[in-house]
Amino acid sequence: MTLTANRTPTAKTEPPKAEKRANPVRFVILAALLALLLIVIAPLLIITINAVKSPADYAGGGPLSLPSSLYWDGIVDFWNRVDFGMKLWNSFITSFTVAVLGVLLSILNAYALGIGKVKGRVWFLVFFLVANLLPQEVLVYPLYFLSKEAGLYDSLISIVIIFTVIQAAFGTYLLTSVYQEFPTELLDAADVDGAGKLRTLWSVVVPVSRPTLGVLFTFFFIWTWNEFFLPLVFLVSNDNQTVPVALGVLQGDRLMDATMTSASGLIGILPAMIFFLVFQRTLTRGITAGAIK
Amino acid sequence: MIRSRAGLSAGALLMAASLALTACGGGGSDSEEGADAKTLTLWHYEGPNSAMGIAWNKAIEDFKASHPGVEVKFEEKGFEQIQQNAQMILNSDSAPDIMEYNKGNATSGLLSKQGLLTDLTEEAGKRGWDKALNTGLATTTKYDDDGIMGSGKTYGVPNYAEYVEVYYNKDLFKKYNLQVPTTLDEFTKVMDTFVQNKVTPLAVGGAEYPAQQILYSLALSKADRAWVDDYQLYKNKVDFKGPQLKYGADTFKQWVDKGYIAKNSAGIKAEDMGVSFTQGKFPIMISGSWWYGRFVNEIKNFEWGTFLFPGNKLHPGSSGNLWVVPEKSKAKALAYDFIDITMKPEIQALLGNNGGVPVAADAASITDAKNKELIENFNKISSEDGLAFYPDWPAPGYYDVLVAGVQGLINGSKTPDQVLTEIAKPYDENLADLGK
Repeated sequence: MTLTANRTPTAKTEPPKAEKRANPVRFVILAALLALLLIVIAPLLIITINAVKSPADYAGGGPLSLPSSLYWDGIVDFWNRVDFGMKLWNSFITSFTVAVLGVLLSILNAYALGIGKVKGRVWFLVFFLVANLLPQEVLVYPLYFLSKEAGLYDSLISIVIIFTVIQAAFGTYLLTSVYQEFPTELLDAADVDGAGKLRTLWSVVVPVSRPTLGVLFTFFFIWTWNEFFLPLVFLVSNDNQTVPVALGVLQGDRLMDATMTSASGLIGILPAMIFFLVFQRTLTRGITAGAIK
Repeated sequence: MIRSRAGLSAGALLMAASLALTACGGGGSDSEEGADAKTLTLWHYEGPNSAMGIAWNKAIEDFKASHPGVEVKFEEKGFEQIQQNAQMILNSDSAPDIMEYNKGNATSGLLSKQGLLTDLTEEAGKRGWDKALNTGLATTTKYDDDGIMGSGKTYGVPNYAEYVEVYYNKDLFKKYNLQVPTTLDEFTKVMDTFVQNKVTPLAVGGAEYPAQQILYSLALSKADRAWVDDYQLYKNKVDFKGPQLKYGADTFKQWVDKGYIAKNSAGIKAEDMGVSFTQGKFPIMISGSWWYGRFVNEIKNFEWGTFLFPGNKLHPGSSGNLWVVPEKSKAKALAYDFIDITMKPEIQALLGNNGGVPVAADAASITDAKNKELIENFNKISSEDGLAFYPDWPAPGYYDVLVAGVQGLINGSKTPDQVLTEIAKPYDENLADLGK
């Protein structure tokens, strides 16, 4: 960090000739970035515009026109129609539990595979990788029968268990490769100090890899929050549904209500975006940060 | 340490789940009619402002009034959720007591074949539901042992119908001094006038259902009831190069070539088609009665009206979605009572006055002038036994085949002959699968 910080000012004090030559290039890059930014936020913008537009306004002006007046009824109606507060709570509680449990499970697995160097760990990793690549559609029927027999069909617990396992599969894969690079000096030092395996894990390995764990936690939370397919299958009654499933209520057989769909889309992604903004510092610290100090 | 135990117990639960797999089993008895049940769980997926939503809300109130002490647990579902999971839900204890479900072989037919739906034949006879439905409407309520519609037992009851008609912008017709066409020739002349004035006549959504319904309408102009039965109910083998479909595909191609249908409409979605019509960008749109209620509310800038596809006796259309009673319903008798209420004249009239097409309404009870037009058109089709269902019904996954085929015609990448060959293949394969 310090190295790059020092270098930037020197680059700026270079002779003006070089800077002049760089100017048009910089301008082009800036323009390209702006265009890219516009492309990225365009869908969000369109959703926002249509979310505060009345249906008649939409019918008259189409999706791209600006609303003639702000119309909040779409958002309010949708909130009341699906009891959105409850869906938020359902989504939050499942995502949070999955994120915590998923990270814990990943730590334990990765500790055994990455640092413990269990026999045949390559095959374990291949297994986890394959489990990651498996499309969820393949899992639906087996999971359906299992959960039905266990009495967990139409219950948030089934979703928590399924996603803890799915997320932990990815977490194990990633964390194992991080732990394989774990500085042996630290482990040896802990060993000399007489720390047992568990003590080493909780007092040495976990604190050092905390930034990576933070990243995993954030990703697990957001991924679980955005999951649609399995919650759609497993959460049958409206009292158990999560946010993305609730958004599906607006999709009719042949007609859609564009303004209300936009309104629901907007309040549906807002929580995930806020969460992302809150935790983005953990993300920027990097996935492999802390491996070598 | 405490937290790691949580992980362990999750694992233990999974183990228990797999162990329990072999433990349970069994089933319930069908004789229990559930007349003394204290709750009725009811699902449907119509918006609260749609004709069905309004009428069914009233029906729920009436049901509560006539069944004091019974709690109605209504849940509004997403179409997608029911479509994807009905089979799994109905096979579990989370099944509702009564629900709205899609008509057709791939949906209600499939579930009835799997024994997940209650046979309503007896109730329909006893309560007179069968008499309220004409032959065209009744087709989609009956499924045989293979789950093919048209004959066998009654598994569902529709409250409303739908059909494809022509919406037109009266202001634009007046501007070019045009009359409502009564024959296909006149219709073509109307569209010619628009093209001469540099207006694309037809709003078409080529990326979804609208375009194939136009092609099907054109084919129907040369068809009779026997051909529809052959195509939809597999009575006889259908020749895709025969006069009906060949005429449909050839004429559709001509319409594209003459500029009635814009070349870029291959990528337009149904929703965008509807919006472009409400904006007054196109004078004519050929699509279903499901737009009607929405147009009544949303078209403010011009006068509009409807007419049936000129010259046709047969029109794409069918009964609406069905009320079905899951086999696992715990309150079957209550569910029958509820269906009975939805068929009552006042609920049917409410449906008709809100832009729906009721199946059993007295035309005189429809007070709204605009909705009268919609229902009179339907009565005309009804009296001629003119419901020809939809082109994508005969085979599973056929919708996408037809969309791709018609898109090929619109952007000119395929000849009508190629398209017919292409769409004949999955149809014939399905016949072979059914052993016909």
